[in-house]
Amino acid sequence: MIKRIPVRWIVTYCGLAVFYLFLMVPVVWLVLSSFRNNDSVQSGKLLPELSELTFQNYVETFQISNFSTYLINSFAIACCVTMLTVLFGSLGAYALSRFTLKGKRLFMMAALLPQFFPYVLVLIPFYILMSNLNLVDTHIGLILTHTSLTLPFGLWMLTGYFNAIPKELDQAALIDGCSRLGVLFRILYPVAVPGLVVAGFFAFVVSWGDYLFVSILSQSNETQTLPIGLQTFMSSLEVKWGLITAGTVLAIVPTVIFFSIVQRRLVSGLTAGAVKS
Amino acid sequence: MSADTSSRHSPVAFWQGLGKKSFGYALIFPALFIILGLNLYPTIEGIVTSFTNQSLIDPGKSAWVGLENYFRLVNDPVFQVALWHSLELTFSAVFLQVLLGLVLAHLLIQKVPAIHFFRSVAMITWVLPIIASVVMFRFMTLLNYGLVNILLTDVGAGQLARNWFGDERSAFPLILIMHLWRNVPFYAIAFMAAMQAISADLYEAARIDGAAEWRQFWNITLPNLRYIILVMVVLHVTFTFNNFDFVFLSTGGGPVNATEVLPSYIYKQAWNGYALGYASAGGVVMLVILVLLVTICNRFIKGLSEQ
Repeated sequence: MIKRIPVRWIVTYCGLAVFYLFLMVPVVWLVLSSFRNNDSVQSGKLLPELSELTFQNYVETFQISNFSTYLINSFAIACCVTMLTVLFGSLGAYALSRFTLKGKRLFMMAALLPQFFPYVLVLIPFYILMSNLNLVDTHIGLILTHTSLTLPFGLWMLTGYFNAIPKELDQAALIDGCSRLGVLFRILYPVAVPGLVVAGFFAFVVSWGDYLFVSILSQSNETQTLPIGLQTFMSSLEVKWGLITAGTVLAIVPTVIFFSIVQRRLVSGLTAGAVKS
Repeated sequence: MSADTSSRHSPVAFWQGLGKKSFGYALIFPALFIILGLNLYPTIEGIVTSFTNQSLIDPGKSAWVGLENYFRLVNDPVFQVALWHSLELTFSAVFLQVLLGLVLAHLLIQKVPAIHFFRSVAMITWVLPIIASVVMFRFMTLLNYGLVNILLTDVGAGQLARNWFGDERSAFPLILIMHLWRNVPFYAIAFMAAMQAISADLYEAARIDGAAEWRQFWNITLPNLRYIILVMVVLHVTFTFNNFDFVFLSTGGGPVNATEVLPSYIYKQAWNGYALGYASAGGVVMLVILVLLVTICNRFIKGLSEQ
């Protein structure tokens, strides 16, 4: 019996090693390269000498072109999208979960359906709609756009979450004189924190990473975000991979930080949303 | 009395005054307005556009052309190549993701030291912006100083070194690999959570009956994962078939259309070729295929589960 357990461990670790090498090597290689000077990157050697390590790439990344504007735009837009998704998503989910509405099933369908639409098709009338509203190349336009992409999932998942919270809880609060909005903010919010966090995180990730919509709806440096910036770097700074890798590391740091905070809840949130539909 | 007047001026009380029912509608209005206005309406508008010759040069002027765009699509060889690639990519990616996801999930539920660390970092690839994944993979596969070619040279297989994204034979598999890299951990984590929810008594009973481990997996684990597998398949058929970023940002559809998929081709038709009507027709074809795929997935897996 004692002999069998270590064998199982070894098999498990070997399997995990294969998977995690595949998953982590690209990230490690990127981070490592972002600290190497240009000669070191192009030396064709696996590991750099200690003297070849530098912060120069990061310093230069902030000096060139509009990198800090891209960073600020990305951050501002993603934060607004996160807040709007959580706010509107939870209000809608509260309605779907706790109120008798005519056409509830229709609402749920309408909210879920867009998830299956081809974005490249949606984008064409979207662009014309946005230009009619004078929202092309504005922050508000991009925030609304991204919110429309993240709300269906947020609404759907939060409805599942609220449905799982016993109704007796808010009935008791109503009897105690709590207002209907108060029930949402004081009773449901605290219980549904994992769901809210996951909906918000999802919104942040989608907005932060979106290239497709920004590439069409943003037409000047004033509104362009990091994915556009990195794509421009890649095509214009062809040989300066030190800068490109440093820029990419800076682009992934916020999501990694946010991820490390919510990671514990992400699993339960995403799967609970999937199971309790 | 004073409480009554004050409540009349508070916005919360105002909403409540409208009665419970309309309050519910008011709550859902912002979400529905954004979703319907910015998703459903453009899609319907896009279907209409597909029957016109609308151009980006003067979008205000467009004429009804009936099915002309669709006839052109049928005779467009690049569209057919893109369609084939899209289907090939979607099927192979989702199939391999389910398979590898099950394997990784099975590894992640093992009770070995430090397993929580592996679980907690797993989904990192899924949260990174796709542009960042593309930078990583392009950088790793560069001709002269990419990691892949350095390793190949070091083990004496330098003749295999190439610009992997620029090679017609390796570009498409690389797109597939990037899809696996991003999504397999998501599958694994979702499957793992579902596996943990299966009652240990079932396995205990199977062990007493002397069932081998793979039999337990086949007869207990897999049937209990049916629902989550269905959800993940539908989600990722949609994601993969719709995904524009991986192809457009890494190869732009090249070399020589070797990686062209429907989203990248339609995007280029609309925004580089100004043919909004034609691109919309391509988008409608995508929509129809997607609806069919999701329906088939549903049926197929439901059929499996009823056996």
